[in-house]
Amino acid sequence: MNAQFKKGVLELCVLVLLDRKDCYGYEMVDEISKNISISEGTIYPLLRRLKKEGLVSSYLKESQDGPPRKYYQITEQGKEKKENLVVEWNEFSAAVNDLLILKTENGWLNE
Amino acid sequence: MNKEEYLKKLDKLLKKLPEEDREDLILDYEEHFGIGLENGRTEEEISEALGDPENVAKQIKADYMVKKAEDKPSPGSIIEAVLAVAGLGLFNLIFVAGPSLLLAVVIISLVVAGFAVIIIGILTMLSPLLQIFFPKYIHLPVQGGILGTLIMIVGGIGVTIMGTFFVIVMAYAANKFYKVVIKLLKSNIDDIKERTEVFK
Repeated sequence: MNAQFKKGVLELCVLVLLDRKDCYGYEMVDEISKNISISEGTIYPLLRRLKKEGLVSSYLKESQDGPPRKYYQITEQGKEKKENLVVEWNEFSAAVNDLLILKTENGWLNE
Repeated sequence: MNKEEYLKKLDKLLKKLPEEDREDLILDYEEHFGIGLENGRTEEEISEALGDPENVAKQIKADYMVKKAEDKPSPGSIIEAVLAVAGLGLFNLIFVAGPSLLLAVVIISLVVAGFAVIIIGILTMLSPLLQIFFPKYIHLPVQGGILGTLIMIVGGIGVTIMGTFFVIVMAYAANKFYKVVIKLLKSNIDDIKERTEVFK
């Protein structure tokens, strides 16, 4: 997979999660690593970048057990970006799927 | 590596960042350890999953330096950014850092040369006056009289204007160069960062 592609995917995952609900960093890592193996430490630099670009914001919230946690929240701009990324992703995966089905029909995969 | 070792190492590696940013980041990682421990993982497991602090720090620094160079372009900030990005991998040291550093050095020397021309112009302009005070040390090519003095002054003004014009043109060129270098750095950061470190 090429670099730009992977980068977009992690960004998309984070924005999609935050669009559902506000999360703290660990929560996002946990959620994403259920499906994709990531290097956990890289989520924080990514979140910082998203914050600087104005796609997310953060706030502190008390937790029942332990110190307050830093929650991230998606901004309007972030939502827009997410929509764009989702469209791109759908187009891309549909194109790949089309290709796979075409190959199967022609028997390329059944040889 | 346990929690304290990991955070200490990261903090040390990030000492070039402003205090506020660094503290903020360390708090993020501290929180990560805290929640991981609550969830029954060991400090060693969490360190392992976070990834080598060297890699984490390099990414943060490269991001930060490039942002800084973009906001406040100067030879110094550009060189810092280039070095930070070069720290991400050898490939970049050769193909990005080399040409960029050369470019930065060329720009700096041309600007210095421009200022030198300005100084020469000003000195030429003042030379008739200086000669009166230091007759032993200053020999004017055009000797004596009001005409000679006038030639030196007008010539001096001419050279000064030339130097100023040169510096302005170089500043403009430098600005263009900066933009190209920053673009180059950004594309390289994205490449390297994602190639090896984000996904395992």
